[in-house]
Amino acid sequence: MLVVKNLTKTFTTASGSVSALENVSLTVETGEFASIIGKSGSGKSTFLSMLGALDIPTSGKIEVDGVDIAKLSANKQTAYRAKKIGFVFQHYNLIPNLSALENVMLALEFGGMPMKKRKARAEQLLTDVGLEPDEQLRKPARLSGGQQQRVSIARAIANHPAIVLADEPTGNLDSETGKKIFDLLHRLSRSEKTTILAVTHDMNIAGKTDRTFKLKDGKIAN
Amino acid sequence: MNVISRGIKNALRSPLRSGAIVLMLAISIGLILSMLVARGSVSAKIDEVKSTAGTSITISPAGVMGFAGGGDALTSAQLTSIKNTPHITSTSASLSDQLSTTDTNLTASLELGNFGARMQRFEGSGSTANGESAPTSTNSTSTRPAPTPRTSVTGTTNPNSVSTNGSDLNITSGVTIDGTSSALIALVGSDLATKNSLTVGSTFTAYTKTITVKGIFKTDNKFQDSGIIMPLATVQTLTDQSGAVTSVVAKVDSSDNVSTTVTSLKSTLGDKADIISQAEQAAASVSSLESIASLALAGVIGATIAGAVIVLLSMIMIVRERRREIGVIKAIGGTNRKVMAQFVTEALTLTIIGSVVGLTLGVLVSGPMTNSLVSNSQSSSQTARAEGPGAGLIRGGFSQINRNITSVTSSITPEIFAVAIGMTLLIAIVGSAVPAWFIARISPAEVLRTE
Ligand SMILES: Nc1ncnc2c1ncn2[C@@H]1O[C@H](COP(=O)(O)OP(=O)(O)O)[C@@H](O)[C@H]1O
Ligand SMILES: [Mg+2]
Repeated sequence: MLVVKNLTKTFTTASGSVSALENVSLTVETGEFASIIGKSGSGKSTFLSMLGALDIPTSGKIEVDGVDIAKLSANKQTAYRAKKIGFVFQHYNLIPNLSALENVMLALEFGGMPMKKRKARAEQLLTDVGLEPDEQLRKPARLSGGQQQRVSIARAIANHPAIVLADEPTGNLDSETGKKIFDLLHRLSRSEKTTILAVTHDMNIAGKTDRTFKLKDGKIAN
Repeated sequence: MNVISRGIKNALRSPLRSGAIVLMLAISIGLILSMLVARGSVSAKIDEVKSTAGTSITISPAGVMGFAGGGDALTSAQLTSIKNTPHITSTSASLSDQLSTTDTNLTASLELGNFGARMQRFEGSGSTANGESAPTSTNSTSTRPAPTPRTSVTGTTNPNSVSTNGSDLNITSGVTIDGTSSALIALVGSDLATKNSLTVGSTFTAYTKTITVKGIFKTDNKFQDSGIIMPLATVQTLTDQSGAVTSVVAKVDSSDNVSTTVTSLKSTLGDKADIISQAEQAAASVSSLESIASLALAGVIGATIAGAVIVLLSMIMIVRERRREIGVIKAIGGTNRKVMAQFVTEALTLTIIGSVVGLTLGVLVSGPMTNSLVSNSQSSSQTARAEGPGAGLIRGGFSQINRNITSVTSSITPEIFAVAIGMTLLIAIVGSAVPAWFIARISPAEVLRTE
């Protein structure tokens, strides 16, 4: 279960401080598929980076299965990102000089899987998301956008994370491909009991998720 | 696939750029090695020349070089003060003269040649100038005596000081003479002895006295081998120059004291005498080598800095370019240590390839580079030195030094190779440290930012 309490994030810049999140509180049950909507600049990405321990909140609590991740040491946060969190990005963010297979194996390495087991597991994951064996050996540049996003989903779920955080995962794809990617995420949340938080602009997609949160100027607006 | 193999793989990610980095690195590493070799070889040669330079100081009256020049001979008082100078262990003094056909029954063995004839013509025109106010070219030629070859006489307290190669005089027959005696005895040069059929025990006439040949000597110098060596006192008496000497060779107790002794001699004798030491001369002739050595050291430092800057800038460029990639690795759980290790491996891979190429290059060019550095500087320093005639006493030692300097051999010792590899390591460390710091500061949150 994910519990967020009074989460606030203020950025201090040269031109003054920007309040990206203000007193955000919400709860998501384990295995739920939640969507976050809101205008550009409303704080969606900032919210995900707090949940994924990519950045430290100014104040407030983030409890994942009873543990406040904001209070973890830097090393523990890195381990948390490796094992408990899976990221799916709008721009896929695969490592360009590694093959699809090697990209997934990289996540398995960080998750602590023994070297010998990684290859078989990565092949299984890529097959599950629908990549043919010859496509698995290609570098990202030789895969379509939809295929790259499939690889990045395989990478995100590689270590059986508690939460998958997806920041506009379909933002760079045509609606047809975007729908397929969304269905894939949906299926995974059902089969793996993984909690999914996905930021989206597409109201059609948001309507199909278990719950939808709306952010407006850094606050929950329901 | 681990950190190391990813680092190596990344080093070869962009072959063109990696090639350019490797090439630049190879050039600076090659330069480091060849400069180290040049420095090592030249330093070894400097030490060798300095240690063999000897401890003798030559003092001659100001303006006199052999038979040429002017000025007054050194007096016995000056000789005493030279002997009493600290650190001087022994001295040998000599007085040079020349025998013309009217002074001796010997036939000179040295052909006059163009050079000798010209020398005597100068003397002739000088004597006519005394009598006449302004000699014209026609009458000065008519009044000159025809030039005749002469025989040189060296009166010395130590016959060995006439030797041209620094060791004892080579006596081919008979025995050497006692330089401190005042007897009418002589050593005769091999050429002169042959010309006049002189053997040990023969006599000849000089300065109207009958002189007995005690020995025949041979040097590697034709001028010396056509001359006569007699005790100093004998020559002083015969030429009516009591106490006068034209050259003093003083031995100093140790090579460390040569320069201080030269300084104190200069202060006691003032401008009355010219003072030259072999050690100073050696120091002067190795000064060009010393400047090569310091140039080479500057080259080593410069090339190391250049190499480090090349790796540093390349790695900074690469880190900046892969900023997002680094953020992604951190976001999916890669530790700072792993990312740094990967980039250090990448820098090391480039440096190792660069150093293999560079050290090979260095081995190939270090020999020719050392030689061209040394021979360029030597040809310029040699043409700058003019030698006076008849300076046989010390010239032998100098030509020895010059031969030594031009025979600098370059060699790559294991020590030099180790230093070069150490420098390369320094390059890699400096070149990776700063980028590693950059890596640590990249926040994984950046990957969620949409530009
Ligand atoms: N690193 C940062 N420094 C300063 N301001 C930031 C930073 N990240 C985000 N912001 C600001 O925080 C607000 C929310 O940004 P973001 O979470 O990216 O919005 P969204 O993803 O909903 O478009 C914006 O006003 C943005 O300019
Ligand atoms: Mg955003």
